[in-house]
Amino acid sequence: MRLLTHNMLQSNVRGTTNGYPLNIEVENAIIEESPVETELIKRLLPKIDYKVLKRAIQQISSHLPLPVLEELPERLSEDIDDETVLSLLHTVLMDVHVLEGHLVCPDSGRKFPIKQGIPNMILHEDEI
Amino acid sequence: NAELESVLDLFGIKLSSPDCQILTLPTSTERARPFLVLSFPHNLKGKRFRLQDGKCDDQSQDQDQIPFSNIISRCILVRSVIELWGVGKTLSDCVACSKKWNESSIGKEIFEKNSGIDKSWKITIHTLGTKYTRLEQDNMRLRFRFFDFKGQVKMEDPTNEFIMIREAEIDVLGNVVHPQQDCNKKIIQENVARPPIGVYFGRILGQGRLVKGRGAMEQYSLKRRAYLGPTSMDAELSFIMTNFGQVEKGKCVIDPFVGTGSILLSCAIRGAYCSGTDIDIRVLRGRSEHENIRSNFLQFGLPRPELVRSDNAIYHRHYQRSEVPLYDAIVTDPPYGIRAGARKTGSKLETPKPVVEELRHNHIAQTKPYSVADVMADLLDMAARTLVMGGRLVYVIPSFSINFSIEDDLPQHTCLELIHCCYQSFTSELGRRIVTMKKVGDYEETHQEEYLSAVWKNGAESAEKCANIRDKLLEAAKKKPGYQQKAAIRKEKRRKSREAKKLSKRKFATLDQKG
Repeated sequence: MRLLTHNMLQSNVRGTTNGYPLNIEVENAIIEESPVETELIKRLLPKIDYKVLKRAIQQISSHLPLPVLEELPERLSEDIDDETVLSLLHTVLMDVHVLEGHLVCPDSGRKFPIKQGIPNMILHEDEI
Repeated sequence: NAELESVLDLFGIKLSSPDCQILTLPTSTERARPFLVLSFPHNLKGKRFRLQDGKCDDQSQDQDQIPFSNIISRCILVRSVIELWGVGKTLSDCVACSKKWNESSIGKEIFEKNSGIDKSWKITIHTLGTKYTRLEQDNMRLRFRFFDFKGQVKMEDPTNEFIMIREAEIDVLGNVVHPQQDCNKKIIQENVARPPIGVYFGRILGQGRLVKGRGAMEQYSLKRRAYLGPTSMDAELSFIMTNFGQVEKGKCVIDPFVGTGSILLSCAIRGAYCSGTDIDIRVLRGRSEHENIRSNFLQFGLPRPELVRSDNAIYHRHYQRSEVPLYDAIVTDPPYGIRAGARKTGSKLETPKPVVEELRHNHIAQTKPYSVADVMADLLDMAARTLVMGGRLVYVIPSFSINFSIEDDLPQHTCLELIHCCYQSFTSELGRRIVTMKKVGDYEETHQEEYLSAVWKNGAESAEKCANIRDKLLEAAKKKPGYQQKAAIRKEKRRKSREAKKLSKRKFATLDQKG
């Protein structure tokens, strides 16, 4: 699971009003480097919640060497052209993969397991 | 033409516009022809392509432009692209036309570029539906001798391959149409019976990428994949779908019914960022660590696809900001109950039994049947929400060849416009339709109920034309004569094989007891 995906996922347990953002509990996470696609990153930036992204990085940083928090900008400006910043954003959005762990609903505490990099968001029949 | 149109549009060319005109072929016939002649203004600048192949001497041309043949070779259904130098109804007409072209200014310019002493060449004779001897073919080649190529003739891999095509009339199945006997009941010699309806001469710019045989795409054939399932889509069709979806590098694509990931893989091969969701955890995880969706991607050196187990029926409950357009294309093969039944979360019971706490972590949630009408309604609604403006939804749906109306029986959505509906037949009655839609209107959250209730113009009964096809085929088969006998024979065979199995099991059991 990439952090880009985590940025979108929410809990849909019946009765919760605030199932976003999910907290990440990491058991195993890796970084797989990939070529930076600046155009793609630029197009994605307006669609993500930046605060949530930074919080996610914080929750993972105990497991992965990610010294990037200090280097990331405070806020995302309209047009970022700085190559290093875009490259950093690419790394955190695309190259970090949580392979094993849980996503925890902030409201109900319900844990959604992540196995083999695939988060399982399906509720049991009595939770819908 | 639909595939070609989508790919050309991707690169900024509109088919049938003044920039790209379709010319009529010599000899008008009622049948469809396997050739298409496109005409472009000579010095087309400012677009994402250029007409000349190979190195460019002209400094003013943009280096980022992609050679036209590269664009066309993306099309699976295009066999080759030829720069046309002469055309006519008969060989003589074609020769005359080529001579005239050679004397025109454009013709001279192109000829100069391609006839230097360093450019080896050969002429291939391609006769559609007729056979000619070597001698006859060489005589045809000699008719073009006025083209004074300075380079050497080279049969293997020359710089330029020229082709002369003699077209005879063929029918829908690709067989040549010809009268075998004349009015005196004498058998007409083949080549005379199949007169040319068009003769073309030109320079080959590029070949299509074939998935079968020795084509460059053969490496992607399903035969070579590590992970397959009964619902994996064949590589050819999934590449054609990526063309309808205009999938390319830098785009975000999702397959909400990803299954074994066969369609998603084709999208990744085109360079897109790929995500897939499915409600079935077993297909997502695959059979083992080395046999799953990701291992297929790894096999081709592609980045890890993003996979989530979620229920497309409640897409907006799984994903925050679901109305923010995220995807450039949705390319998918939805489940319609033939080989893989559609499911959605929820129990059949009104008040489901609560799950025992200790067993909760391993509990596989119950799912209930998901009707085709709802599958398609939810798919279209999710597409309308999440596609960027102009983004495309491409899906496959099985249907009968007759008794199906595109305007009335396909699902509809206010925010989506139908672009193409192409039919591929399996049998005389049954086939599948590949539907392409484009987002043309913004999604309004408050109108969701309206959107969903308007999906099926003729009510959910239209959905039935796609669903339960297996049952319908069985019903139709039952009505055919001889069905009872055949069914009885099959039943007998099954009974015998069951008996044989039981016997062998008993034998083993007694052996065990003795041992």
